[in-house]
Amino acid sequence: MPDSKRFLHPEAIKRISRLELRARHIVEGFLAGMHRSPYYGRSPEFVQHRQYAWGDDLRDVDWKVWAKQDRFYVKQYEEDTNLRCTLLVDVSNSMRYGRGAMNKYEYACTVAASLAYLALRQQDAVGCVTFDESVRVVVPQRTKRNHLDSILQAFHIAEPSNKTDLSGVLTTAAESYPRRGIMVLVSDLLAPREGLFRGLKLLKARGHDILVFHILDDDELDFPFSGPTRFEGLEEAIHLNCNPRALREGYLAALGAYLEEVRRGCSRLAIDYVLLRTSQALDAALAAFLSYRLSRHRRGLRKGR
Amino acid sequence: MSSFLYPGAWVGAVAAAVLIAVPILIHLINMMRHRRVEWAAMEFLLISQKKNRTWIILKQLLLLLMRMGAIAAVLFLVPHPKLQSQLARLLGGVKTHHMILLDDSYSMSDRVGGASAFEKAKEVIYRIAESAMAQPSPQEVTLLRFSQAQRAGNPQPDLLQVPVDTQFLQQLKDRIGPLEASQTAAGPLPALKAMQQFLAEQPESGERILYLISDFRAKDWTWPTDLKEHLLQLDRQDVRIFFIQCVETMHENLGISELVVLPGIRAVGAEMFMEVAVTNHGDSPVSNVVVSLEEDGAPRPAVTLRHIRPGETVRERFRVHFEKPGQHFITARLETDAVAADNYRYAALEVPAGLPVLIIDGDPAASEGRFLALALESDPRARTGILPQIEGPRFLSLQPLQKFHSIYLVNIDRLEASAIRALEEYAAAGGGVAFFLGPVWRTKFINDELYREGKGLFPMPVAAPTILRVDYLERAPDIEVVDPRHPILGILASERYRFLQSVIVEQYFAVPRDWKPSAESGVRVLARLRNAAPLVVEKPFGKGRVIAFTTTAAPVWNNWAKEPSFVIAMLQMQAYLANQPAADQGRQVGAPLDVAVDLAQYDSQVRIIPPMGTEGLPQVLDAVVSKDGPPVASFLDTYRQGIYRVQLTKKDAIQEERLVAYNVDPTEGNLKLVGREQLTNLLDPLRFTYSLADAFQYQAEETGWNLFQVLLYTLLVLLVLEQMLAYSASYHPATPTAAPRD
Repeated sequence: MPDSKRFLHPEAIKRISRLELRARHIVEGFLAGMHRSPYYGRSPEFVQHRQYAWGDDLRDVDWKVWAKQDRFYVKQYEEDTNLRCTLLVDVSNSMRYGRGAMNKYEYACTVAASLAYLALRQQDAVGCVTFDESVRVVVPQRTKRNHLDSILQAFHIAEPSNKTDLSGVLTTAAESYPRRGIMVLVSDLLAPREGLFRGLKLLKARGHDILVFHILDDDELDFPFSGPTRFEGLEEAIHLNCNPRALREGYLAALGAYLEEVRRGCSRLAIDYVLLRTSQALDAALAAFLSYRLSRHRRGLRKGR
Repeated sequence: MSSFLYPGAWVGAVAAAVLIAVPILIHLINMMRHRRVEWAAMEFLLISQKKNRTWIILKQLLLLLMRMGAIAAVLFLVPHPKLQSQLARLLGGVKTHHMILLDDSYSMSDRVGGASAFEKAKEVIYRIAESAMAQPSPQEVTLLRFSQAQRAGNPQPDLLQVPVDTQFLQQLKDRIGPLEASQTAAGPLPALKAMQQFLAEQPESGERILYLISDFRAKDWTWPTDLKEHLLQLDRQDVRIFFIQCVETMHENLGISELVVLPGIRAVGAEMFMEVAVTNHGDSPVSNVVVSLEEDGAPRPAVTLRHIRPGETVRERFRVHFEKPGQHFITARLETDAVAADNYRYAALEVPAGLPVLIIDGDPAASEGRFLALALESDPRARTGILPQIEGPRFLSLQPLQKFHSIYLVNIDRLEASAIRALEEYAAAGGGVAFFLGPVWRTKFINDELYREGKGLFPMPVAAPTILRVDYLERAPDIEVVDPRHPILGILASERYRFLQSVIVEQYFAVPRDWKPSAESGVRVLARLRNAAPLVVEKPFGKGRVIAFTTTAAPVWNNWAKEPSFVIAMLQMQAYLANQPAADQGRQVGAPLDVAVDLAQYDSQVRIIPPMGTEGLPQVLDAVVSKDGPPVASFLDTYRQGIYRVQLTKKDAIQEERLVAYNVDPTEGNLKLVGREQLTNLLDPLRFTYSLADAFQYQAEETGWNLFQVLLYTLLVLLVLEQMLAYSASYHPATPTAAPRD
């Protein structure tokens, strides 16, 4: 397997291939697809009548209404379009941490690659952005099957080394992608929360459907260290000599507060948030999340009708 | 340039410092051996660190100190340290209290050439004092002699917590130098009890050492149950116990264990019997032991005891008689041996001019009383000391009877009620009464007035005068003695003297057939006639005795008065009946000399003169009114054996002197010893240090406040606290708990 393919896990692909990545909202695609569009077009789904205006296609005139009322109305149908999915993958230095089979960076890339595969498989357009304190690589949205290679290559060449600036990156993304689509943020979110929520809010304002995959290592969640330890910051030039067990309680309390804050913030913005620990089986975690999302999507559709 | 008092101490000091510093070194090494972790979520770590920083540092510091303290405690524990520093002095913890119990019983005068055991004991005390004076820490001494401890309710220590200063040794020598072994047999138990009482009264502080300086005689230590209990109590109170034995080997010793006046008539001119007993406390037999005797200080023929086996007591009688009435004393003395005190024995006795005896004869011619008087009264050839007085029955009602030593009733047909009452009071107060029945006596009078269903004076009911059938075959004597050991007739019944065989009884007063003396009444038949009819019956009455003969004293119903055995029997009976106070058998030294004073006759002041040759001076005491008796003058300083003279002054200024003999306890003369091994076995599990007096050396360096237990408890507390703190500071391995999951 070429190095760039290391983020594609056959088991995960197999597991999620029967699922769909559906947009929760109306998205603005450029091809006919499986997602609802803000525009009217050709589809079996009738939406409304509208008075005929100059320039309307005569094929859309509802002749039955003309026959009854002697007025020209045109019938409007819902347009189905494809999805523009943008994967925002954090490749900052903090993502380098991990003592298990995969570090956070690898896990994040694997999540993103799996989602890209899924989207391309359902003929949606997928692009990706890798970032740290600024945008590093941008892969434009394409629907071609071989576009996956470009995305994987972008992940492969990423070198986690710098700080994270989520606020700047999300703002940039909001400006760069004006058309509504799905924004998938895969990050450890170890950055100031104000900037994170500001960026997400901006994306949300643009009408994007946002998914946040919060990747944390087991060590970060459980803090199992003991014995004299020197902790050196991956993104900050600080260190701390301590007895980790003495600090564990305080650490977990602070972490809990942080996670709660993130969860609440996402919930407030109607963002789908999922916390993934690097020890979790990726296929199961993704499958569970997508199933949940899909079922919610269907419920939404039924309600709309 | 500085130097150490003990060379090489600096090596230990440096090693200890290094060991105590080990936790710091480990801490520093750990600081260098930090595991490095590149960590992303520093933000939360820093929050936790900021929140807990102060408390963590404090805990770590405490932990470090506790670990250092625990190592220091272990280092101090190893050599069992004793605190003797200035600091400990300030804390009051190093004061050493030397409690010396000195055996001064007379066995401590044991000496075979050289110094006596008591002198060795004094030397040991001087050595203790010298060592105590050399100590830098405060020392104090309590000294109690065994003899002083047994003073009733008021033990008198020679020294009580006297601080040891530079003048202490001289002070001690002045105090105990002149002392000699007492003549008491005081054992260690009262002294131990007294010392425990002193300890209980004093606040518990510092080191306490008990020295028991004694000869450790077997009699005191063979069954030391109480002693062991008290010693174990002291042991539990962390009192160090030293046993210092002043005698190494047992010496041979003879002691006079008894010198008594035997029962009998005691009067001027009358011969009395005394008995001296000598005990051989040694391991080998002795022969021809001469006991020198003195009568009122004048020598008299000695008594020689042929042979005394080891451990045996041999007695020998001797006769004494006094020509003058009044107080007399006898002294017995053995030749000098290891212990002198038990070679002497004293006895004091009062000898009256004569014994007045009352004979009541109903016949004005005293036809029967004369026979009795003849049998009892003195004769120039055989002085009995008895002064018989023959009176009629009315005498009993009219005159006081107390002065008579016994009363005989013969030829009585009736007595006035007052006479009977006077007789009963006399007997109840301790007097002796004898009845001789005969033809004049009436059955009804005896049964109704004298016997009164057993409540009266007479021992038994009677039936009627009866003729004893003649025994023509002369197979058995008329009189049969029931109890051959009884003092009245026993001597006549022996095979050696067959005096009673020639006595013929023709008539007697029979008793009812169904009469049998009850055990509760104490009535017993002393002699019977051939036909088993009671002849002599005895009854105790109050403090006195009553003897009833069922036949006459005169040769009317029998021929006994014509026989020599009659005189013997009457004299024996007189000695038995006489309410003469027993001769003073003496008291043991140390017992208080209480003199009851009848203020109606005497002045309240009593003069006591201790034995000659003692340091005691005559003392004048005032009789003190006691709750339940006459006023008593109590003389306590009776620690020397010998004759104490008690002088009372009568109201008419005539001085009266009484003699009281004080003797040593003869058992103290048994010089058998117990040694180290026996003491160890007997007192197990007592912890003590045994030493012979000559080898004893006070181990001063071992004194001080024992820190071992304090350090041990400190170490345990430190270890427990260290574990708690380490757990609290999360240095213990993590327990497998469920990690927080999202």
